[in-house]
Amino acid sequence: MSAPSGGGGGGGGAGHGGGEVSSSALAPSSLPPPRPKSPPEYPDLYGKRREAARVQMLEREIGFLEGEIKFVEGVQPASRCCKEVSDFVVANSDPMIPAQRKSRRSCRFWKWLCGPCLSLVSFCCCCQSKCSCHLKKPKCCSCTSCSCIGSKCCDGSCCSSICCCPRPSCSCFRGCCCSCPDLSCCIPKCFRSCSCARPSCLSKKKSSCCSCNCKIRWSSCFRCPKVRLCSCCFCNCKNLCSNPCCLAF
Amino acid sequence: MSVSDLKERHAVATETVNNLRDRLRQRRLQLLDTDVARYSAAQGRTPVSFGATDLVCCRTLQGHTGKVYSLDWTSERNRIVSASQDGRLIVWNALTSQKTHAIKLPCAWVMTCAFSPNGQSVACGGLDSVCSIFSLSSTADKDGTVPVSRMLSGHKGYVSCCQYVPNEDAHLITSSGDQTCILWDVTTGLKTSVFGGEFQSGHTADVLSVSISGSNPNSFISGSCDSTARLWDSRAASRAVRTFHGHEGDVNTVKFFPDGNRFGTGSDDGTCRLYDIRTGHQLQVYQPHGDGENVPVTSIAFSVSGRLLFAGYASNNTCYVWDTLLGEVVLDLGLQQDSHKNRISCLGLSADGSALCTGSWDSNLKIWAFGGHRRVI
Repeated sequence: MSAPSGGGGGGGGAGHGGGEVSSSALAPSSLPPPRPKSPPEYPDLYGKRREAARVQMLEREIGFLEGEIKFVEGVQPASRCCKEVSDFVVANSDPMIPAQRKSRRSCRFWKWLCGPCLSLVSFCCCCQSKCSCHLKKPKCCSCTSCSCIGSKCCDGSCCSSICCCPRPSCSCFRGCCCSCPDLSCCIPKCFRSCSCARPSCLSKKKSSCCSCNCKIRWSSCFRCPKVRLCSCCFCNCKNLCSNPCCLAF
Repeated sequence: MSVSDLKERHAVATETVNNLRDRLRQRRLQLLDTDVARYSAAQGRTPVSFGATDLVCCRTLQGHTGKVYSLDWTSERNRIVSASQDGRLIVWNALTSQKTHAIKLPCAWVMTCAFSPNGQSVACGGLDSVCSIFSLSSTADKDGTVPVSRMLSGHKGYVSCCQYVPNEDAHLITSSGDQTCILWDVTTGLKTSVFGGEFQSGHTADVLSVSISGSNPNSFISGSCDSTARLWDSRAASRAVRTFHGHEGDVNTVKFFPDGNRFGTGSDDGTCRLYDIRTGHQLQVYQPHGDGENVPVTSIAFSVSGRLLFAGYASNNTCYVWDTLLGEVVLDLGLQQDSHKNRISCLGLSADGSALCTGSWDSNLKIWAFGGHRRVI
């Protein structure tokens, strides 16, 4: 007995004419099991269109870059730009920059504000026509024996043979001035100052010195700004963006 | 075209883009025959030298109860608006230190603020993705709540920075975590132009800062987490005029150089850079000496002549004053007497360039200016 063909002329009784389905001549076991049709494969139009859009953007970027390369061929070298910068700066006066030491013009209308700063009782150390004034008499103010960086007079209240520390509460650490109360927090970046931070914070690893306070919960969902990895900070933007403090807050 | 064909085209196009970018970078390197510091040293420029009392803190503005995130000066009359984690905008008289307004914000998570050119309105934005405008002539209720006079809604991410177009009270530009900048018409509250976005050529990550040219208000610069800065013409939003590469981390802050043909940037990679907008050249890198990790730059400002670059860093209270010509740090405001006690998050110069205001996580603002006359013995 041949298997019924699909569609129209199937042998046997199924769906044929009056539907004598109960023909006992066909045993159920000889019928193929019902096979429901698989759903049709719809093309992934959305994904295809997005891909096409990305390709279009890249091809547009190619056009921009080719235009930029052509533009750069005719561009002047950097030295000419540097000259323009230098000429501009030199040609314009600047109220923030010390002029001549002897005849100082008033610093526009901010001068009256700052004048009182020097009227306080202060101690001045002068060394070869350079003067600095301090509220407290510095320990090492001595023009002849000043051993500070750059041969300047000490402008703080702490001085060692290695460096001058401008902060009253500082200490010299590995040749640098460090203002951290805890010397272990000093990182010896010896360019006039130290940064006060434990290395583990800077390396963005989990650290006990991160101090995010995550008490406040905001009820609407923000897209959180750039995240600083920190042991107690997290951004959960499902329904609650619970810690905007991830961004340097 | 099938998806597989498209994917192949995508791969080919990506390789072409990378090759072209490499060619462009090589060609630009060939044109970098010097930088500003080497040029100026060769010209024999005298270094800037500050004495201990040359730049002093003249005013400390106290009133915020949280970290200060942003500040802006008026273009005249020396008022300052500041935005803080305490959810308030405060308007200060910089000369008397008095607060003229304390505005309680509907959204406490504010990130930026700006004065309108006529000084009668302030704008702010933050994590609510909205730029809100407040009129300073409105009456506040007993809580300090001032009605919002206009809300500029449309960004799909936080508003990181806002600035009014110079001399145009009706237009301002915002930057956002949604990778776009928007030029707004404040009178209607509608977008005039969108710069960047999903299917436009623009930044590919959060935009953190904008700076509009004072000499050509149609030009503005944006800085982004994609490590680039971009120059835009507000009349042609379809693509950036130029993209400036070089930084190796988020560009947190951008500011035009006083001549309008250059701009400075500050980045997470610890450097500030000076770029030329007409040629695209990177003219100078300002990198602090020393070992250790690079400390991100949070904010920058140029003095009126451009000779000084003020840069706040995300470490302690460091605020370096750079000699832009010789590429050297000439002062650290963090080491001055009466300096901030925490990170400096924002700074700005007064309209006449005589005073610098710094805002800090210590909740204070400070004004710095010259220490007056100095007797020479």
